[in-house]
Amino acid sequence: MSPRLRLTLLGAALAGLLPGAVAVIGRLPEFGATIAAYGERINAIVPAERHVANMVSAINFDLRGLDTLGEEFMLLAAITGTVVLLRGRRGEETTDRAMRLPGRAILPRSEAVVLTCRLVGPLLMLFGLYIVVHATVTPGGGFQGGVILASGTLLAYLGEGYAGWRDVVRSHWLDAMEGGGAFLFVLCGLAPMLTGAAFMQNVLPLGTFRDLYSGGLMLIENAGVALAVCGGFTQLFLEFLEETRESAGPEESGEDSA
Amino acid sequence: MTWLPYAVAAWLFAAGLYGLASSRNLIHLVGCLSVCQSATYVLLLGLGYRWGSIAPIFYDHPPGTPAVDPVMQALVLTDIVVGATLTALLLVLTVQIFKRSGTLDPEHLRPIRRRGAK
Repeated sequence: MSPRLRLTLLGAALAGLLPGAVAVIGRLPEFGATIAAYGERINAIVPAERHVANMVSAINFDLRGLDTLGEEFMLLAAITGTVVLLRGRRGEETTDRAMRLPGRAILPRSEAVVLTCRLVGPLLMLFGLYIVVHATVTPGGGFQGGVILASGTLLAYLGEGYAGWRDVVRSHWLDAMEGGGAFLFVLCGLAPMLTGAAFMQNVLPLGTFRDLYSGGLMLIENAGVALAVCGGFTQLFLEFLEETRESAGPEESGEDSA
Repeated sequence: MTWLPYAVAAWLFAAGLYGLASSRNLIHLVGCLSVCQSATYVLLLGLGYRWGSIAPIFYDHPPGTPAVDPVMQALVLTDIVVGATLTALLLVLTVQIFKRSGTLDPEHLRPIRRRGAK
């Protein structure tokens, strides 16, 4: 299909959708005038009902916890797919040799980079942990903190090189973190049912408003999400970086392992 | 200027969609999809905004202070994380396509043949 034909098709499709789009856009609420009643009610009720200060975490881990469970498994499925596709062709074994473009100079790592990474890396990990544990109090939570933690491990790669990074970051730990995090989230849903409560009902003591311990069950779900996101994203970095290594065996052509 | 956020969302979506339809490179295609997706962030956050409101976090401000819609923010948050992993998945598919067929141009893709069936 030529690009011109594709664009023509797109134009025709858009023309077909135009009346509906115009009707919807015309009905959009005026920007900044009001918010949806659902959000308004959450803001009014949840701080007293769940003892948490961060409404976004309250929605993700309590009110709409079931949706987050779905998101969690989307995450798991996407990362599993990535890992299977990359490893399926490459195999499990690892090598230290990086792929090189012939003729490109290899620059040694400068001491400034090593020093900066060693200083900033631990601080970044600490910041990530801070964001994770303050999920119900201040802006933050398992999703954001998990991504920050995963980025922190990349600084180890930048500062210590590939071999040093692989020594610290073990692939099977990441698998365990990712799967274990999702499992912990499911467990948080099922465990309340043993006590006769509903799925994912917040049965733990709710703690004190504006305290680090507030929100009860949300804290465990948050830890599960943080584990899964951190493990999953580090796994992605690892698999993509492994792609830049030279393969150990002779170059295989074909599709027998893909 | 009360329509500006919606206009930005529409423009982002249109730019991404044009890129998707006219792309000649799969990596460019994945980038265009991300642009389309950022249009949804702008739209959701715009829908949830209200003038003079605080962020929906009642730490410095007592509960009851007018705050923006927390549902939209929760949606955008999970959207971003899942979007990032999906981008990774699509890029991996691109890598595999390049290894298999040696091209990144979707125009030149041919159906995969079984080995030996040539």
